[in-house]
Amino acid sequence: MSIAQGTGAEQRITDDRDVSVGAFTGSEERYFSHAFEHIQRGDLPRWHLNLPALLVPWFWAAFRGVWLMFWIALAVDVIAVTCLMQVVKFAPLLAEAEANPAENTVLIERYSRWIATYGTAGAIIFVAGRLWLASSANRWYYAQYTRWRIRPEVSSGTSTRRVVLAALIMALVVPLTTYRATQQRLDERACLKQIRSVEELGKMLAASGAADAAALRAGLAAQAETLAGERAAIDALAERTQAQKARRAAIRKELRGVNRDIRTIDEVAGISLKDRFDCWFIDDFPTLARIEPPADVIYRRVPDEAAIAAGDTGATMVLREVKPPVEGRVVNIFTYSAESIDISINYLRASFAGIFDAMTHVLRQSLILVETAFMQTPWPVIAFLFIALSWAYTGPGTTLFVASSLGFLAVFELWQVAMQTMALVVVATGLCVIIGLPVGIWMAKNKWARWITEPILDVMQTIPSLSYLVPAVAFFGISQPPAVIATVVFAMPPMIKLTALGILQVPETTKEAAMAFGASERQLLTKVELPMAVPSIMAGLNQTIMLALSMATISAFIGAEGLGAIVTAALGDAQAGKGLLAGIAIALVAMMIDRILKGIRASFSRI
Amino acid sequence: MSDAVVELEGVWKVFGSRAAEAMSAIRAEGIGKPEVLERYDAVVGVKDASFSVGEGEIFCLMGLSGSGKSTLVRHINRLIEPTAGTIRILGEDIGQMRTEPLRALRATKIGMVFQNMALLPHRSVRDNIGFALELRGMDAYHRAQLADVALEKVSLHGYGDRLPSELSGGMQQRVGLARALAADPEILLMDEPFSALDPLIRRNLQDEFLGLSANLKKTTVFITHDLDEAIRMGDRIGIMKDGEIVQIGTAEDIVTAPADDYVADFVAGISRLKLVSAAKIMVPPGAFEAQHGPLDLARDHPVARPEDDLDRLVELSTHADLPVLIKAEDKVLGVVDKNTLLHGLQGSSTE
Repeated sequence: MSIAQGTGAEQRITDDRDVSVGAFTGSEERYFSHAFEHIQRGDLPRWHLNLPALLVPWFWAAFRGVWLMFWIALAVDVIAVTCLMQVVKFAPLLAEAEANPAENTVLIERYSRWIATYGTAGAIIFVAGRLWLASSANRWYYAQYTRWRIRPEVSSGTSTRRVVLAALIMALVVPLTTYRATQQRLDERACLKQIRSVEELGKMLAASGAADAAALRAGLAAQAETLAGERAAIDALAERTQAQKARRAAIRKELRGVNRDIRTIDEVAGISLKDRFDCWFIDDFPTLARIEPPADVIYRRVPDEAAIAAGDTGATMVLREVKPPVEGRVVNIFTYSAESIDISINYLRASFAGIFDAMTHVLRQSLILVETAFMQTPWPVIAFLFIALSWAYTGPGTTLFVASSLGFLAVFELWQVAMQTMALVVVATGLCVIIGLPVGIWMAKNKWARWITEPILDVMQTIPSLSYLVPAVAFFGISQPPAVIATVVFAMPPMIKLTALGILQVPETTKEAAMAFGASERQLLTKVELPMAVPSIMAGLNQTIMLALSMATISAFIGAEGLGAIVTAALGDAQAGKGLLAGIAIALVAMMIDRILKGIRASFSRI
Repeated sequence: MSDAVVELEGVWKVFGSRAAEAMSAIRAEGIGKPEVLERYDAVVGVKDASFSVGEGEIFCLMGLSGSGKSTLVRHINRLIEPTAGTIRILGEDIGQMRTEPLRALRATKIGMVFQNMALLPHRSVRDNIGFALELRGMDAYHRAQLADVALEKVSLHGYGDRLPSELSGGMQQRVGLARALAADPEILLMDEPFSALDPLIRRNLQDEFLGLSANLKKTTVFITHDLDEAIRMGDRIGIMKDGEIVQIGTAEDIVTAPADDYVADFVAGISRLKLVSAAKIMVPPGAFEAQHGPLDLARDHPVARPEDDLDRLVELSTHADLPVLIKAEDKVLGVVDKNTLLHGLQGSSTE
């Protein structure tokens, strides 16, 4: 290739770039192609400043569609302004304090220090932020240009619409934030009082039928005057009859009420626009809705006398009692919903007592069975089984670890309690596998199932266990059975998710090959997908066991026995040592099971 | 062909949720691919493909990636349902088959080999090979026997208890072949079986497969993107382009008479030495004598037969100065001198 051709090609590349820079920037093409070239060459000096970005960084960024820079610039400026506004906020306080310097030396010193600190910080943030923005603007713009070259939908060119949008955003954010920065922290009770007064005035107006607050106040004032006059008349009497005394007391009471109402009206009248504004827009979200609470219904299961009389001795029925509502009680939406849920739980518990009792019974019986197996097997047998298993499937190191963990449990007299925990974990894990495996398969096979179960699983994993312990207790009583339910809820998601994942990641080509050799859907699942998903399923099982053990402590809160109960008791009595030892025991049990399972898995796995 | 084992007739495959509508529009208005994509958001995968493969024949489908050859071959065992057209296997229309007979057909009559082997990683080589038999419910004892027979065929005797991951790529593909052969199917579908292997092993396996094929007489549809491989393996070759079969013929047909520029471009780089026969390039004795004067048959002319390839003619010519006589049953059918031979090698005409 000759030199002339090479130059030609280079020229063409340069031209291509210039064309694309022009198309991207929309205007100021020469300036930007120059700047971009230097950025590409890596020799754009750090002090290279983009002037519009220095003066109006947010507008420049919006005009050019560099939205990331817009938000950063806005944040930097808002932080700077907030700092500077602290000066405005503390200046009147300082002036007030300085009116009496002898008494307020501490205050004066504190306010001057705050003003100086915030003022300097604000100024530094503002200046440094602007310089940084101005020197980074072209680099960010270049980054956007490279993204635009790959994906043409990235914003490019210049646009007045974007500037208008940016102005709207700033109009929403900046004035309110700036104003807030100049204000002291609001007294929350003042706002509540404000809302109450307004509500009360509304009620009074509705009750009296007066046209407006002023008319009402005039009426009330007249009434107060009449009452005061009457009282004065009674007071003027030298001797009062019993009736007159009673009348006087009544007047005093009435007068107090009237005066309170007048005060309320005055209070409402005295609420300034600023107070209202502050309560609505600064700090907390204003509580809007006040609604009647749901009817206080109680469902109870009682013996059904009629049926018993008819010969059915065990008959029961659900009794529905409605408590009279508390006069004038209004609640917000949160309380309303919470009370409704309480009532629903109550209803379900009373109506389907049979089902819940049966479930509780099954859980309790299976727990008792497993517990008996663990606790009534002589300790040498259990210890031998554990050590033998780890010897057979893992190395000598793990065996030593298992032996010493068992030694720990034995020496610290935690053996029986640990076995109780183990029983709980075994039953919970069993349930997780029985439910989780089919659900996982279903989830892998069906797009809609995935759609439905995925959010439910996320909720199951993240909802705090303490918040569903209460309903679990409501439905299943206390002690072990609800603990198993809570543990299953918490520990099942990984089982389901990893089963589904394992099946989904079986290569499409492998499945196709199986189909080509005449596999049915069922054979595909049992002979190809499930075997290939085994490592993933085992990982899920492992996770499930670990999570089940970590729930041991939480379930102790509702009376589940085992190592967790020791931890909870230690928490209640502030006995750090006891809690730590029991906690270590839980960790050791978890690690023992984990290591042995891993060993078994590794020696059977062929993949 | 009445004795065709595999027979495809007017097979179309249109991908997309509105495939049926697109198909009827193609039928009614004859719209092209871009229009189908634009109007129905559908992609034409296979366009009106028809061919048949006779018993024991190796039919190569050759085309570049995305030409639809893998899609087409999956129609033969109905892993993919055709949008239109009929497919007959051993005379039976498989489009009408219900699930159970179709699965039986796949397990017993059609073996398939995949480019990426697609072996089951959790099963031993023997259990992989016996997979189709197992799916049909054969017991483990007979399965193992048949699997060992198949292992023997692909010269992997003694590897039955290994896991696929312990084998090299070439050996894994032999296992794939053994798996396809285990149920002794009439038909073999080979989807780029040797493409993922390095050239030496590929050649090895090609030879081995040709040997096997000569013994077993399996009707084979062989997919490849490599024209050299297609020429080596195929009794006949179908060349695909954009879902359409543009030419079907023997290697010699395709090299000497490409149907269009696309095929011509394809075969341009192919060595004609072993492909073209003397009959294709020889000059009739009359025309030769008109140009070069009378032949003296008494002289020591090298002699070849009409079906001999150019390689043989080159070998004969290098040892003699005289032109080669092409004779059949002692009759001179034509003459090839060095000039003709060179032109024939290049693929240009003598004039």
